[in-house]
Amino acid sequence: MTRRAPVVWRTATVRGVVAESHHARTLVLDVPEWPGHRAGQHVDLRLTAEDGYQAQRSYSIASAPELDALEITVELIDDGEVSPYLVEEVRPGDQFEVRGPIGGHFTWSVPDGGPLLLIGGGSGLVPLMSMLRHRAARRSEVETRLLVSARGAEDALHSDELASLEPSAGLHVAWTFTRTPPPGWTGWARRVDAAMLAELGPGPDAGARSFVCGPTPFVERVAELLVEAGHDPRAIHAERFGPTGG
Amino acid sequence: MTDLHTDGNGVAGLLEEILAVEVTTMVRKCQSCGDRQPIAAHRAYRGAGVVLRCPSCGDVAVRIGVHAEAVTVEWRGTYAIAQTGSGSP
Amino acid sequence: MPPFSRGFHGRRRADVDPSRLPPGQYLTPDFPVLSAGPTPHTPLDEWSLTIDGAVDAAVSWSWEAFLALPTETFTVDIHCVTKWSKLDTTWTGVSVDTLLKDVETAADYVTAWSDGDYTTNVPLEDLTGGRAWVVHTYDAAPLEPEHGGPARLLVPHLYFWKSAKWLRGLTLTVQDEPGFWESVGYHNYGDPWREQRYWSD
Repeated sequence: MTRRAPVVWRTATVRGVVAESHHARTLVLDVPEWPGHRAGQHVDLRLTAEDGYQAQRSYSIASAPELDALEITVELIDDGEVSPYLVEEVRPGDQFEVRGPIGGHFTWSVPDGGPLLLIGGGSGLVPLMSMLRHRAARRSEVETRLLVSARGAEDALHSDELASLEPSAGLHVAWTFTRTPPPGWTGWARRVDAAMLAELGPGPDAGARSFVCGPTPFVERVAELLVEAGHDPRAIHAERFGPTGG
Repeated sequence: MTDLHTDGNGVAGLLEEILAVEVTTMVRKCQSCGDRQPIAAHRAYRGAGVVLRCPSCGDVAVRIGVHAEAVTVEWRGTYAIAQTGSGSP
Repeated sequence: MPPFSRGFHGRRRADVDPSRLPPGQYLTPDFPVLSAGPTPHTPLDEWSLTIDGAVDAAVSWSWEAFLALPTETFTVDIHCVTKWSKLDTTWTGVSVDTLLKDVETAADYVTAWSDGDYTTNVPLEDLTGGRAWVVHTYDAAPLEPEHGGPARLLVPHLYFWKSAKWLRGLTLTVQDEPGFWESVGYHNYGDPWREQRYWSD
């Protein structure tokens, strides 16, 4: 195992902006001497105004480690301080600082194996996308189940990409909508509960590694459900995004 | 009204920049309840500084004073830090 | 000097008389919630406020008795060490002078303590002379739990971490005893106008 590069603030330049939905953007960043990352890690991002005022937030890395750029996906939070700038203002050429990659517990690499159970609420999907993109880049067939909880179709990020990934061996993608399911939706339309997890699988005897990410109340409820269903608590990795998820 | 906490993942950048050690995988044995949990699973609260609390009993695990030029850290409990570079890219 | 981010301003408000902001502070449009731990929810029939420590006799009020004390409604500015300030906040509460009216003490310091494990230390003279209150009402409504309800200490001339939320007691002490944040490097006194954020200031 190699020693980690020091975690320092580096200048990131926006190479491109991708609209994922009406209120979410992926920022494609160039970061000189970026040491690479593991799927699931995040960066701390710092903005500095002209008068020196600073604001800082953490964002999960969305891109696979195999990609030649660093990508983060940001969802707009009403009344937020940083996300409105990143979603509505930022354009190619803009700069801010990033520190990272950060994280060790909430990371997964193909050699870690599976089976994998990935459960994301809202923007909690972002680090799980990094894992899935890494899995696809390595052509891994490790058994993986993804459950995404979203309020409505508008919030269901990456649905096309996930649909295109799903035929790959060993991957199963499931959605549940908690507020307004898409028209014609016949799938789950409620908050994650024990019955849903039982139907999704795998069962507790499969020895699955679980990654749960999203707003704090969502993560804690889902982690508790997994433990109650008999999953080994030590194999449940959680990342809490705070009350609103960002 | 839900509590406004995150977890140890969110404070890892601050500590790793200063200490050059990945903290989320460190397993802490609580001085109060004896439970063992990774720092990633500890609840993080932000006041003047940052507090990490044991997810099992809620007692203080780490207090971090974030100052202009320095960081003050108080560690409570006993920490197991893996020898190998777990988590390296 | 870090690169500045074109077009980023943050949510702070610019329409402020600069003489009202201590050095290094920014005006916030909202009321940020900061905490060292989970929000306690002590039922009011179990709540009490106690003054004890280096006093001749400890004194304690139940919630009903506390509400029956004479109150004041007043408007002050508040300043958080994390750099946000909020001007013209209106509170109703009991002056600490009222609480200490019949308390005999030779102590010079106070440790304010709260539900949970939070403490903060303040010189006694900074809690008296009309400079501090125990408040139960903010902006004409009962103080919400996330902001320290049912009652919190309010010491607006010091950084806001000194205004202990979920207050349950004031313990008078002969020695100054650094509290929760003071013990990890925050300034022992905390005057925003002298920018006393950390011990080295």
